[in-house]
Amino acid sequence: MKTQKLFECPSHTWIMFGRDDEKPEAIIDTNQYMVVTNNNSLLMDPGGIELFSAMLAAVIKQVPANKITHLFASHQDPDIISSLGLWDQALPSATLHSPWLWESFIRHFGMNNINYAAIPDEGNTLKLDGVALEFIPAHYLHSSGNFNVYDPEAKILMSGDIGAAMEAVDAPLFVEDFDEHAKKMRMFHQRWMPSNEAKNDWVRRVRKLDIEMMCPQHGRIFKGDDVKRFLEWFESLEVGVLNKG
Amino acid sequence: MTDLSQNYFVSVAEIAAKLDQATTIAQKLSLTASNARAVALRAGERAAGFRPLTDFIDRLAEITIGSSKKINQMAAILSQTSAEKVRADGAILHFNSVYKIAHDSPHIHSLDEVYERCKSEKTRLEKTYRRQIEQLSEELATLSSELRNAVILATLSRVEASQAGAQYQDALINVADNVEGAAGKIKNHIKYSQQMVSTLEEY
Repeated sequence: MKTQKLFECPSHTWIMFGRDDEKPEAIIDTNQYMVVTNNNSLLMDPGGIELFSAMLAAVIKQVPANKITHLFASHQDPDIISSLGLWDQALPSATLHSPWLWESFIRHFGMNNINYAAIPDEGNTLKLDGVALEFIPAHYLHSSGNFNVYDPEAKILMSGDIGAAMEAVDAPLFVEDFDEHAKKMRMFHQRWMPSNEAKNDWVRRVRKLDIEMMCPQHGRIFKGDDVKRFLEWFESLEVGVLNKG
Repeated sequence: MTDLSQNYFVSVAEIAAKLDQATTIAQKLSLTASNARAVALRAGERAAGFRPLTDFIDRLAEITIGSSKKINQMAAILSQTSAEKVRADGAILHFNSVYKIAHDSPHIHSLDEVYERCKSEKTRLEKTYRRQIEQLSEELATLSSELRNAVILATLSRVEASQAGAQYQDALINVADNVEGAAGKIKNHIKYSQQMVSTLEEY
């Protein structure tokens, strides 16, 4: 499991975990992100059950377990949060922030100790030691109850499945050639994202945000102008279609 | 999930299924008792000795239904304990792996408290699991011993049937056969369940 620091300032740090070359071959590679503030940490889309040991080992190289106080699951998919039953044992006092829509479903992964903080449809803000992290609605992209995490100070948007691409485990962390990369994203977005209306609404809202880095849950991170290129590309892409790979 | 844990989940489910079948047979046995009572009434004085036997058949059916229901509930609770046990075992394995991978992490000991808690939970679940298997085993043995009376009941029924006269004899012998047949089938289900329980004891 690789660990990459994405942003650092006196108040907080963004760390990415991913490209796990020891994961079973048949499961999809995922990117996990963590924001570390003075006394707390938010671990975002902590991953599937198969990844738990590698993730926990990577995370506690950065912070002690009792400092991982918050978890975030953008939606209900197994590659996002099927490890919950184990995090529930490891972090019994933590809080999971996730869409209200999925609460009774996500609890099926096993949650006896962790507290579920349901995010309302319009989103809300989590403040960790004074650092504001906004849960931005991204419904139907692809899940019907779905959020991104935006940090206005770091100018980072954790975009979940938006911007995702299927990549080899040794692929670079950042997009280097957008046009080449777009080929790897096309089928994923057309097939998984069901609504053009939801997509265009998201593009309109996200364009207003100041974003330096867009961090998807699979594939590579977009930096600088590639974020704008992505928004243009995504806006012009017809989604919710079959067989247009 | 390992083959071992899959096996014991399947075993617990199979016990519940077998006892469910036993309940259905016992319900039919109860119907047999009602029919026998009607035949004995029609046969009048000649089948006077048969009538009290129908009460015993009823009692046997009731005991089997009640006990099967109880065993089913016990199997459901045992299934829940098995699931929790698998989860606890899994968590320990994951934590062991984390200790191995991150042995050089400065924060590795921040996991010690939860690791110890998981280990105590695992021990508690193991004890609960053993106790629940013992209880299940005892209940199966009790039901099995109650069913031994069915053979005596069938024999007595045949004796009384022979006194009832030609007109009713066949119907009452049929009742005796039904009692013996039903008890035999239920006993087979119990025997199978007892074998399943003995495999559970090995885990």
